[in-house]
Amino acid sequence: MFGVTNETTTGLEALSQMRRDRRKRRVAEVEWFEALYRVYLTALVGGGAVLALSGMVKDTKLSASELANVTTHGPHVIGLVAALVVFLGIRSGANGGPVSVEEAEVRHVLLAPVPHDAVLRHPAIQRIRSMAFAGALAGGVAGELTSRRMVTGNMATWAIWCAVAGALIGSLFSISALLAHTLAIPRSACTAIAASLVGWQVAVTFGNTNIAGPFDTLGSIALWPLRFRAVDIVGIVVITILGVIAIVQVAHLSLEALARRSALVSQLKFAVTLQDIRTVVLLRRQLSQEHMRERPWFKVPKALRKNVVFGRGFRSLAHFPARRMLRMSLLVIAAALCEVWAYRGTSPAVVVSGLLLFVFGLDIIEPLSQEVDQPDRTDALPVDRGWLLSSSLFVPVVATLPFVVLGAVVAYLAEPHGATIAVAFIAGIPAALTGVAGATVNAVKGAPDPVSEANQGLYLPPEMSGMGTVIRAVFPPAIAILGSLPVLSATAAEKRNIDPVGATVRTAIGGLLLVTLVAMWVHQREPIRAWFRQMSQAGRTPISQKAAQ
Amino acid sequence: MARTRRPREAAESQVPAALLATEVSKSFGDAPALEPLTLRVEKGERIALIGHNGSGKTTFLRIVAGLLESSEGEVSLLGQKSGTLPARASLSFIADQPTFYDDLTLWEHMEYVARLHGVTDWEQTAADLLGHLGIYHRADDMPNRFSRGLKQKSAIALGFIRPFDVLIVDEPFVGLDAAGKEALLELLEQASVDGATVIVATHELGFVHTVSRIVALRDGHLVYDGAAEGIDVDRLVRTEDPAGEHDGEQH
Repeated sequence: MFGVTNETTTGLEALSQMRRDRRKRRVAEVEWFEALYRVYLTALVGGGAVLALSGMVKDTKLSASELANVTTHGPHVIGLVAALVVFLGIRSGANGGPVSVEEAEVRHVLLAPVPHDAVLRHPAIQRIRSMAFAGALAGGVAGELTSRRMVTGNMATWAIWCAVAGALIGSLFSISALLAHTLAIPRSACTAIAASLVGWQVAVTFGNTNIAGPFDTLGSIALWPLRFRAVDIVGIVVITILGVIAIVQVAHLSLEALARRSALVSQLKFAVTLQDIRTVVLLRRQLSQEHMRERPWFKVPKALRKNVVFGRGFRSLAHFPARRMLRMSLLVIAAALCEVWAYRGTSPAVVVSGLLLFVFGLDIIEPLSQEVDQPDRTDALPVDRGWLLSSSLFVPVVATLPFVVLGAVVAYLAEPHGATIAVAFIAGIPAALTGVAGATVNAVKGAPDPVSEANQGLYLPPEMSGMGTVIRAVFPPAIAILGSLPVLSATAAEKRNIDPVGATVRTAIGGLLLVTLVAMWVHQREPIRAWFRQMSQAGRTPISQKAAQ
Repeated sequence: MARTRRPREAAESQVPAALLATEVSKSFGDAPALEPLTLRVEKGERIALIGHNGSGKTTFLRIVAGLLESSEGEVSLLGQKSGTLPARASLSFIADQPTFYDDLTLWEHMEYVARLHGVTDWEQTAADLLGHLGIYHRADDMPNRFSRGLKQKSAIALGFIRPFDVLIVDEPFVGLDAAGKEALLELLEQASVDGATVIVATHELGFVHTVSRIVALRDGHLVYDGAAEGIDVDRLVRTEDPAGEHDGEQH
């Protein structure tokens, strides 16, 4: 035994000194030109986005009745956003979020005799702060846009109070996650609590009731430039108290969850940098502990197993966890509602619908993705890779059809007209299948190789890395968005008093053609690449060598 | 070389077990990784924890270290609940997967870990340890860029730079060269001599032959806990009835 008098104090000193030293080193290693350039780029993109959004908002001031409507329903609607944020926060907490520290920090610091709250307080506050900042930014932009249509309050007032509301809502994500995690609330209870809060706020927002929603005060703060209500301060006080409790409780964060997340989060950040969507999906599943079912939902009949690839695909579907099925259903329901929204005249909603169906596609093409994930195994098989991958598409396509039915039913419920069912099916089939096609292109083209010559620009900003890199990232979701366009032709046809069903059929054929092209590309990708490489090499061979040959 | 706290304990009259696991179990979802396991390890004991892949060794050691929460049951170290501050102070855990900071050299790691555990006179010990393991010349390099074997040696050095009463090590011989294995065996021997309790999950016969007690797990069950003498380790891991009449015997 050697002379150690107060291990905890010495450990804390070592911790704070090492953190200081590492921070200094990081600052010293920052390439300021690059950092400034990133700031410039972010400001450019952010400013462009705000300008684009501003262009979409009309400048006409609200009428008295519209203003009354905003005053009455605004707090509920903004409160609903807060409820959804809390839902996500509680779920994150139940899955071990929101704090993640370095893997080495878990191993060397959290296993050392140093109080956990001293180690974890800083990352927890940082998490709350970053979410509050993101919320404030979103709120500020929303406030600026809102001010254009309001008769009372100037732009700065709206931006400030909406930013305050946004910051509170953003911080609620981290606070609710921390509370759910540190209080060790069981996952089922977390889901029940979060769903109840959302349900309550939904009932208040869409129901005809005078009862206040749990998050109305936060929504009301955003409307302070319109009218000030002192009672809303209660919302700020409650969130502050909850935030303090969450930080005080931080020592109760589970070491097991921190250890699991630490490795995954660093991989996730790297995958995002590489624009490797497949890896992001896989890591997200691991973070939320979404595992395949050990016992399949159904036994795949012999007839479906006659073709070995189809059999493998159906077996994969049979192991899908309930959470994934639920998520896919919710994505389809949301996409269907967006299509209805677009049908009613808000055309940009097709972009949201396309993106939702792209995410849906990433889930349903699991049998294909699994084959792509194992190139060594597929290369060792005595079958053509193109045939194997294109055959693997059959099951996801078949499995998409029940979801198309679900989407059509949702669309009919939202827009209960005779033509809705027909238009929903005709527009829904290419929309869902192009979602699958976009996800397929993303999976088959694979993760970019960071060391290959063709991908040297991955870490560079768009104008330096070239359009190729941008197109590579944007192309798959763009396919999905293209497939969601047929619903717009139905809207246009109705405006011109033409049969919407016929117009939708004509554009839907285009979507189906796109799906067919993607399937053909998957089948012929390897020969096309080989041909391209050969042509490229031939082009580089000097004429003298060609003559000698 | 090993920095143990034995002199302090010698003064204690009521001696708690170095490690006491009571009905400890762990399940990941529906999959059980460790069935209820009760184990008492006395101070100064030297134990080999063996079992085939997936038998539950790493799960058990991680629960002891506090990196995993048991589904049922409790673990205590020298009477302190696992994961608590005093338990963390008394336990050194060398995991099967070495983990390091990206931005610290090996020497800086040594300083950090030593000082986190309240060690102020760490330099000479660090130099001795690194020299003993044959990696002193790499002290100013980043361990995250090392080969598997060098990472393992670095992790071992970090495990021994700090004081401990209980040392648990998970598959430490994997990736080590002959000289590294020899150096580790000497460190483990020294830790025992200094009075530390040493538990090592390994099949390395060089270590297994030096222990007095073997604990064997199979499919999450404790299948053997007893004397090491006369035990065929390979059979113990592989067969249904590894030790004949010893099967299931509690120490």
